[in-house]
Amino acid sequence: MRGFLRRLAGHLTRGLVMIWVVVTFTFFLIRLMPGDPVQVQYEKLIAQGMSPDQAASATAVTYGFVPHGPVWKQYLEYLSGLIRLDLGVSVDSQGVAVADRVFGAMPWTVLLVLSGILVSFLVGVVLGVVAALKRSTAVGHSLSIAGSLLHGVPPFVIAIVLAAVFTRRYRWFPSGGQYNGDEVAPGFYYDFIGDVAYHAFLPAAAFAIASYGGWLLAMRSSVASVLGDDFLLAAELRGLTRMTRFRYLARNAILPLFTVLAISFGLVFGGSIFIERIFNYPGLGMLLFASIGARDFSMMSGAFLMITAAVIVANILADLLYTFIDPRVRRQA
Amino acid sequence: MRLSVRQRFWRGVWVALKRRPSRILGVIIMALFVFMAIAGPWFYPDRLPYNVDNMYAPISWDHPLSTDFEGVDVLALVITGTRGVLLVAVAAGLVTMLVGTAAGLYAGYRRGAADSVLMRIADFALTIPGFPLLIVLTTAMNFGAWWKMALVLGLIGWGGLARAVRSQTLSLRERGFIEAARGLGLPTRHIVTKELLPNVAPFIATNLLMAVTGYIYAQVGLYFLGVLPLDTSNWGVMLNAAVFQSGALISPDALPYLLAPLGAILLLTLGVVLIVDALEEIFNPRLREG
Amino acid sequence: MSIVELSTETLPGVAISGLTIAYRTDAGELAAVSDITLGLPAGTITGLVGESGSGKSTLALSLLGAVQKPGRVTAGSVVIDGIGDITKLDEHALQSVRGAQIGYVFQAAQNSLNPLKTVGKQLLDLGRSHRVKDLRGLLREAKVLLSRMGLAAERVLDSYQHELSGGMRQRVGIMFALVLNAHLLVLDEPTTALDMITQANILQIVRDVHAERGLTTLIVTHDVGVVAEVADRMAVMYGGRVVEHGQTMEILGAPRHPYTRGLISAIPRLTGPVDAAKPLPGTPPTLGTIPRTGCVFRQRCPLRMEICDTVAPAMIGGVACHAVNETEQL
Repeated sequence: MRGFLRRLAGHLTRGLVMIWVVVTFTFFLIRLMPGDPVQVQYEKLIAQGMSPDQAASATAVTYGFVPHGPVWKQYLEYLSGLIRLDLGVSVDSQGVAVADRVFGAMPWTVLLVLSGILVSFLVGVVLGVVAALKRSTAVGHSLSIAGSLLHGVPPFVIAIVLAAVFTRRYRWFPSGGQYNGDEVAPGFYYDFIGDVAYHAFLPAAAFAIASYGGWLLAMRSSVASVLGDDFLLAAELRGLTRMTRFRYLARNAILPLFTVLAISFGLVFGGSIFIERIFNYPGLGMLLFASIGARDFSMMSGAFLMITAAVIVANILADLLYTFIDPRVRRQA
Repeated sequence: MRLSVRQRFWRGVWVALKRRPSRILGVIIMALFVFMAIAGPWFYPDRLPYNVDNMYAPISWDHPLSTDFEGVDVLALVITGTRGVLLVAVAAGLVTMLVGTAAGLYAGYRRGAADSVLMRIADFALTIPGFPLLIVLTTAMNFGAWWKMALVLGLIGWGGLARAVRSQTLSLRERGFIEAARGLGLPTRHIVTKELLPNVAPFIATNLLMAVTGYIYAQVGLYFLGVLPLDTSNWGVMLNAAVFQSGALISPDALPYLLAPLGAILLLTLGVVLIVDALEEIFNPRLREG
Repeated sequence: MSIVELSTETLPGVAISGLTIAYRTDAGELAAVSDITLGLPAGTITGLVGESGSGKSTLALSLLGAVQKPGRVTAGSVVIDGIGDITKLDEHALQSVRGAQIGYVFQAAQNSLNPLKTVGKQLLDLGRSHRVKDLRGLLREAKVLLSRMGLAAERVLDSYQHELSGGMRQRVGIMFALVLNAHLLVLDEPTTALDMITQANILQIVRDVHAERGLTTLIVTHDVGVVAEVADRMAVMYGGRVVEHGQTMEILGAPRHPYTRGLISAIPRLTGPVDAAKPLPGTPPTLGTIPRTGCVFRQRCPLRMEICDTVAPAMIGGVACHAVNETEQL
């Protein structure tokens, strides 16, 4: 338990350091941007007839720091705002708090990413075992090639194909949105959940198809390496049933995949920009994309920060899960 | 019969290719793309001829992949769009290779504080979601110059290679390579270039190929989203126009315009997959399974 | 079948006859074990000695019908009393025989335990696989065995493999091999990679449990010292063939086959001149370099004759050597 807590503390420290680096990066990025958008807004407000003080405080609300005075002071103000989860106010749609939009969009992306990863993990692991056990046959080889191909194709290609076929050519699925607001109101009941699932199905499927190939390949090589381990031969020579030996194999082979899981979140969240854009699904990726198009820099840094934070948290969870499953790590304390 | 290292390598390549003919197909596909990138633009004028009366032309000998919304030949667009993207991707791959190999070797060779600092940075580079970072950077940087794009891509993607090279270096160390060489009084430079590098080269080669492909797709993705200026022609610009502007998802006439860049991406991926399959066997003959 | 029933059966002897095991390779099928005929009399400890690559581990695995792919038994039989010819059993029958009637103990350096499960949980898996009704009884039996071997039984059952030392793992391996009351015990290099004291302990344990439980034991090793210590009978393997077999004391006292002689004179003694130990010249053959015709040992043999190049020597009176047979017949 003490080892677990120490590990957790280490993770949290590293996570916080990473978030701090990202925050610092976005702060300076916006300030160093060509045509300094903060300065531009400040001057625009003055031109609209505000006093310099009013303009300065209005700008501060937007970006989380006052555009004048020493840089370090602006920086500290920005940081202290962030600690209170104040991400500033949208430039594009005045008066909307960035934090509200970001936290509102977040669950939808998490829904897509998690269901996509879960499905692809299950399918990929199962097919990976088959590919490894049958690796010298045509079935195994074609599974591996298909897995590599889908793993190699960028996710937007898969999303475009799915969107083209299932929302345009055959209108089996909706062409956008999280749910149909005209027909169902948010709540915890069958129709609403069904509608959410209906809207999320294709984008989640795109995530799943784009990433299952990676799981397949990882599982295949993991199974192949565990198959060479002595303990499986020992289990066979002790007369353990085929089923029991298969369970030994599967559990040992799946374990290293959790470290891959940790790394994959960054990629998958990155892919959300394409997938949400292609399916018109308003999540974090869409928010980030839209804010860039609209030059809404406070929204942009908020969305980017939140994506990064989500990836870091997912990383930590995946690693802790690993710790929990592997006795060699768990019992080291 | 004794063979030199190089001869043995090429023999391994040949054996691996022969074992599965699909791998030869991979080599042909890759050669085709490299040829398109180098020689493609020579076959066409700088400004591709357009004809607004002939948009989305039916497939014919003149326009084997139809035409786009301005009547420009799609095949010509696919071919001429290869060079820019490939150039940037290869340059970025070289940046990744240099930085990743250097960091990985140094960390694995020196260990200690340098190792942990470098690996923290590598983990950071691995964790930060690369694509979101890239599109955020498009707001502040002008990616018009190809080398800037290459530099940024290359610097975002080095973490994985550094980790792989480091762990390989560490395992060589565990097997006594480095100590033995030191014991023989060989200078560090010799150990690194003659003992370590040849042993990590397989990882670097495979990784480089994957990184270059990844960078091609990252650029195509950026153009596809429309966050980079659409003033050049490449697969991403084509996809952007096809999906978001000309309604290729709905109109069957425009379908070839959508399918052509998608097909190019699929073909390239297939080529890479088949070659990586061969590389894995060349570098790791134990994978050969009867 | 219950544990009690088994224990009242007569001790199983093993009769290996004409056994040939070949591996399929790029160069065709190569025999790792050729035409071996050997008996393991019930109630004895037999030591099987040979260098690595001599085929001794393949032979040991064949006693469990577990020749690993791409190898297969191409000729001969392994008849075990109470079981029958094990090379003819189907997979299901093999599964129920392994572990229950034949116990197998791995090299200490090999990880014979699932790293993700405690010893106790794996013991329960063993019980379930063999349809043991009384799992508590099984645990009790395991504890008795572990304590008998000087381990803290409760703690060991609650341990993972990585928490056990080499000697402890080996005892756990013996426990797994015997807990279902198997009467035929096969140990593959049981003391390799252990320190001297642990080695001695393990051998003592092997000797004791063999006597207490009335086993028929085959111990595979490259170490003539181990055989001298525990085995009643011994067989010497070279290049996939048994070149000499018989009572341990007789063979060690008066080795007849030139390979056995070389093997024994290669052992350094604690006392006496250091250079009294004479290593065998040359290297043992690998699967690909075993001569296909004639005597497998002739390339390193000091007694080589013309006939050795063409005719494989028959096993006569416990030794397979043209030269020895010739001189002994005179």
